[in-house]
Amino acid sequence: MKKLFSAPFIFFILAGTLIPMGVVAYYGLTDRTGAFTAENILAVFSGDHMKALMLSLLLSLIATLLCLLIAFPLALILKDSRLGKQGFMIFIFILPMWMNFVLRTMAWQVLLEKNGMLGFLGIINTPVAVVLGMVYDYLPFMVLPVYNAMIRIDDSLIEAAYDLGASKNTVLSKVILPLTVPGIVSGITMVFVPSLTTFAISNMLGGGKVNLIGNIIEQEFTTASNWNLGSGLSLVMMVFIVISMAFMGKFDKNGEGTMI
Amino acid sequence: MAKDTTLIQMKDISKSYDGEIVLDEFDLNIRENEFITLLGPSGCGKTTTLRILGGFTKPDTGRVIFEGTDITDMPANKRPLNTVFQKYSLFPHMNVAENIAFGLRISGKSESYINDKIKYALKLVNLAGYENRAVTSLSGGQQQRIAIARAIVNEPRVLLLDEPLGALDLKLRQEMQYELIRLKNELGITFVYTHDQEEALTMSDTVVVMNKGYIQQMGTPEQIYNEPENAFVADFIGDSNIFDGIMIEDRVVEICVHKFPCVDEGFGRNKPVDVVIRPEDIIIDKPGRGVIDGVVTSNVFIGVHYEMCVDAGGSEWLCQNTRSFPVGTEVSLNVDPENIQIMNKPQSEDEEAISLEEVLGEELKEE
Amino acid sequence: MKRFAKALYIAIIVLFLYLPIGTLMVLSFNESKSMTSWQGFSVRWYREMFNNQELMEALGNTFTIALWASIIATLTGVLACVAMNAMTDRKRNIFMGLNNIPLLNADIVTGISLMISFLLFGISLNYGTVLFAHVTFCIPYVILSVMPKFRQLENHTYEAALDLGASPAYAFFKVVLPDLMPGIASGFLLSFTMSVDDFVITHFTRGAGINTLSTLIYSQLKIGVRPTLFALSTVIFLVVLVILLISNYVRSGEKDKKPGKTGKTGEKEYIYRSGLSTGRKVLVGILAVLIIAAAVKFTPSTPGEVGENGVVYVYNFGDYIDPELTEQFFEETGYTVVCDYFDTNEEMYPVIKNNTADYDVICASDYMIDKMIREDLLMEIEFGQIPNMQYLAQNIRDFMEEFDPGMFYSAPHTWGTYGIIYNTELVDEEDFEGDVSWGILWDEKYAGKIIMPNSIREADMVAAKLLGYSMNTLDEEEMKAITRKLIDQKPLVYSYANDNARDLMIGDNASMAVITSGDVLYAQEDNENLAYVIPVEGTEVWTDCWAVPKSCKNFDGAMAWINFMYSYDAAVANFEYLTYAIPNTQLDDYVYEDYIEGETILSEIEIVNPSEEILARCETLKNLGAEGDDMYSRYWKEFKSR
Repeated sequence: MKKLFSAPFIFFILAGTLIPMGVVAYYGLTDRTGAFTAENILAVFSGDHMKALMLSLLLSLIATLLCLLIAFPLALILKDSRLGKQGFMIFIFILPMWMNFVLRTMAWQVLLEKNGMLGFLGIINTPVAVVLGMVYDYLPFMVLPVYNAMIRIDDSLIEAAYDLGASKNTVLSKVILPLTVPGIVSGITMVFVPSLTTFAISNMLGGGKVNLIGNIIEQEFTTASNWNLGSGLSLVMMVFIVISMAFMGKFDKNGEGTMI
Repeated sequence: MAKDTTLIQMKDISKSYDGEIVLDEFDLNIRENEFITLLGPSGCGKTTTLRILGGFTKPDTGRVIFEGTDITDMPANKRPLNTVFQKYSLFPHMNVAENIAFGLRISGKSESYINDKIKYALKLVNLAGYENRAVTSLSGGQQQRIAIARAIVNEPRVLLLDEPLGALDLKLRQEMQYELIRLKNELGITFVYTHDQEEALTMSDTVVVMNKGYIQQMGTPEQIYNEPENAFVADFIGDSNIFDGIMIEDRVVEICVHKFPCVDEGFGRNKPVDVVIRPEDIIIDKPGRGVIDGVVTSNVFIGVHYEMCVDAGGSEWLCQNTRSFPVGTEVSLNVDPENIQIMNKPQSEDEEAISLEEVLGEELKEE
Repeated sequence: MKRFAKALYIAIIVLFLYLPIGTLMVLSFNESKSMTSWQGFSVRWYREMFNNQELMEALGNTFTIALWASIIATLTGVLACVAMNAMTDRKRNIFMGLNNIPLLNADIVTGISLMISFLLFGISLNYGTVLFAHVTFCIPYVILSVMPKFRQLENHTYEAALDLGASPAYAFFKVVLPDLMPGIASGFLLSFTMSVDDFVITHFTRGAGINTLSTLIYSQLKIGVRPTLFALSTVIFLVVLVILLISNYVRSGEKDKKPGKTGKTGEKEYIYRSGLSTGRKVLVGILAVLIIAAAVKFTPSTPGEVGENGVVYVYNFGDYIDPELTEQFFEETGYTVVCDYFDTNEEMYPVIKNNTADYDVICASDYMIDKMIREDLLMEIEFGQIPNMQYLAQNIRDFMEEFDPGMFYSAPHTWGTYGIIYNTELVDEEDFEGDVSWGILWDEKYAGKIIMPNSIREADMVAAKLLGYSMNTLDEEEMKAITRKLIDQKPLVYSYANDNARDLMIGDNASMAVITSGDVLYAQEDNENLAYVIPVEGTEVWTDCWAVPKSCKNFDGAMAWINFMYSYDAAVANFEYLTYAIPNTQLDDYVYEDYIEGETILSEIEIVNPSEEILARCETLKNLGAEGDDMYSRYWKEFKSR
């Protein structure tokens, strides 16, 4: 009886995820005439695609690292302060999502433009601006899981560490940090994957000069109308996603995550 | 057993949370090598006392003196005390050995020293060979012992244990009690531990009964049991009959409109008092032979003896006796004068706070 | 001091989060539609917002999709959790793994996979497909919020309820569900937020004519974002903020009433007691009311009133006619118009090709008309039914020969040229005296001040013209030369932009940009230093035409629509609205006299209506076929990756 309850879920997973993945695989492994080919996958090794992929990897790794560096101390402060406990600070991070993603990113464009308020920084249309956009758009995805993992740490564990003579730094590195790892890992995947595959941010803040793998995939589906190549490259992207999943599964064994 | 040197002095400690007073001008001396128990219902301030000793909570006022040095402002990680937390608080990301080694690594001990210590400590808590087990795979009692092992390897002068028996079942609790006594004797250090049940009496050198932030009574287990200073202590420690009585004159107290001879003097004439009588001290006799007649209303066998309720003089009398009197039996009750404890009724507001009804009411509310 | 440092850290992060939002709010009060310059306080965008039907529809779609998606996702998710809770660990892990796929999958992959699956299985993209996609990506959030609560549940309470005689359903609703409620509520809220915020997946799965706020904004990026969107977002943002503050206030009120009792460790108890449940309930309640109000008000409407002659389904570029014209058309002809929109020809093409929706009349660019004629997707137009065709401007006919020889299939809607818009204050005047070459865009003097198009064909066109090639060249050697030329230019370019080049120029961010003539008048309205020139080597002339797809069901209506578009009223309205050249001879007098209050009349003529001499050097974009497209795409990527 209870098993029937999972039917809608299975339907959505099948129809909304697994079958579409299969379709991508089909397009990715065939050419325009429908004949099997691995060319679309191997295309990732061609100079231009590889360059874009490497740039995407580099920028998204930097963005992920920055998010982590910002989020960890923030979560620490929030854990100690009353603000975090009342959920107020968490809302502060979710609230911007109600101001649309595209608009928010565009606002940075406005700010960073040569004559904009922050134009003196001179970073618009450079990879720096794209990284900034990634950090801005995906920071909440790092803050929330890290914070959630951190507030789950029982205060008495921290007290126990102090009791055993640990200094503040030792408590941080030996107790808080390791126990926050599941949150950090899900934060990393939640920031890394969308950063790696973004096309909107690089379009808006890169001034068309920062060409990421996401831009190439998007172009194949829109202007270039080459679904096969686009699907092939998407399949390559999925390799990274699978790696992320495995990475996450390793640290979050019961799969219940601290993601949200 | 305990040497008479004061190790820790708590002076004038007050602490309140959000305007609610938890400790009020609290004073406590802990002697070297003592096994001292802080006893009281939840909310009595015993955990706060322990946290102040451990350095996790700063008192609002007052000082903590350790061997003549004021350690009130010393952070927890510098104090020569270790705590075994109520929830054990083992680090879940470390195995047993790593947990035990935590404090030793911080103080920079050599690996061989650490390994020896781990082995020694595990043996001491009867868990030899558990080094590489994940702490989450251990039972509550085992986790408890690891927590103790983790604390004692640091050779603290004082070990603070916060309700170490609270989460264990009866059998484990008894085992653990003996083990704690053994440990204390082997290690020769001071144990301070909190508990919310009378059974703690068995292992302590000194018992401190607390309620509402005050010390109600402090003394050896025998003193606490046999000479409770007030109704709260009497009720909290063991079973008691507590009656409203009137001290007619020296050596005569009236309970349920019957006069009983007693040994107390100096209360004045016709003074309302609390009277405490332990159930095992009530002598059950044939009707007319005792001071007050009644009828047995219940009878339960509880091991060594029978526990019976006798309705006499309009009150319930809880009696324990090795002989069984079936329900409905007419009996007469008597008490030896030296077994009747007379206490002043609480008068000041502070004392009022500890009146029995309130304590009971509070406990009901919390459930 | 430490406290101060912590507060400062939080303050900086909050500033980082809210600075852009504040900027948008300020801009929503800007008199000008420019995003980069402040021209006075005004609430006109707030007024306009309510009159903008397209915007209101996008708003309605955003919230109804979010609402339905989160409801369906919540139901599905909770049911799945019930099922999973009863599973063996191994099976549950498999399910949780499956559940993680949509969550971890890149949005672009999810969006694309859904889009091509829908199209492959012949499901036309519409409201339903977007909703389906949103449900798919919302479910994981629900499950991840609810499942931990399930695991924390004491199974005994459920069993205790059964023991006391409750039916399983009763026990679930009365005992289990209340415990799960916080998880369910946060799953729902999270789904809702994610759905509202989503752009990428909606972008790929939305059908023609379905816009959410994100996709509307993105498509407006191409034609200039209007501050009405800022105004709307400001309103949404403030409403959510107020709800948050109220719920927070309610929450702290509760705490005052019932101060945390001091327990074993006072502090901890304090936290537990200040639980979030009631505050959350209030928040959810208010949100629900608002959402439902929005849903009722903005449920996507089918035309309420169907004209006596039926409905004409028009498929057009977004924002490409004066929106008031549909009403006028209805009054004059009795046809109800239903407009659907697309952003690019490439997006429209598969819809027509796969017959996923039936349209009576479409708008498409020259090269796409060419392609669709070749693929036999268009019907011949009955010009006998379009008397207003007599007003078609003569100079456009030559160009039409290039993609619709003999003009059987298409009727031009707008047309224009590409040229260089420059800021007279930021360039040396002598550089723009007399004939100007595309080569000016390679002048190192203007390094960092040049804006180039961010599209394959237009950027290639600039280089091809400068090198003297055709912009439709299929010669590899010429393509290599073009690509080299563009790569040489790269260090000089400020940005590659299509859409916002105009706004960047208005805000004085660059000295010159390649831009289409239609955008020039618009830009000049906000910045009088801007001028436009068509380089001497010639340029691209583009034409966007009305055409009738084979799927047409209301041919007479389609003819009436095209005829109406050539009427004086419609031509003027469209010109005023779009500022794109309308190839209609009735406009000849109008344009010259009235536009921009009689100033700089001569250049206006040139801008919207270039001389024969210039036109002689121009070309139109041709459809290059799949192999040609691939070649262009290949070289473009090479250029881009440098």
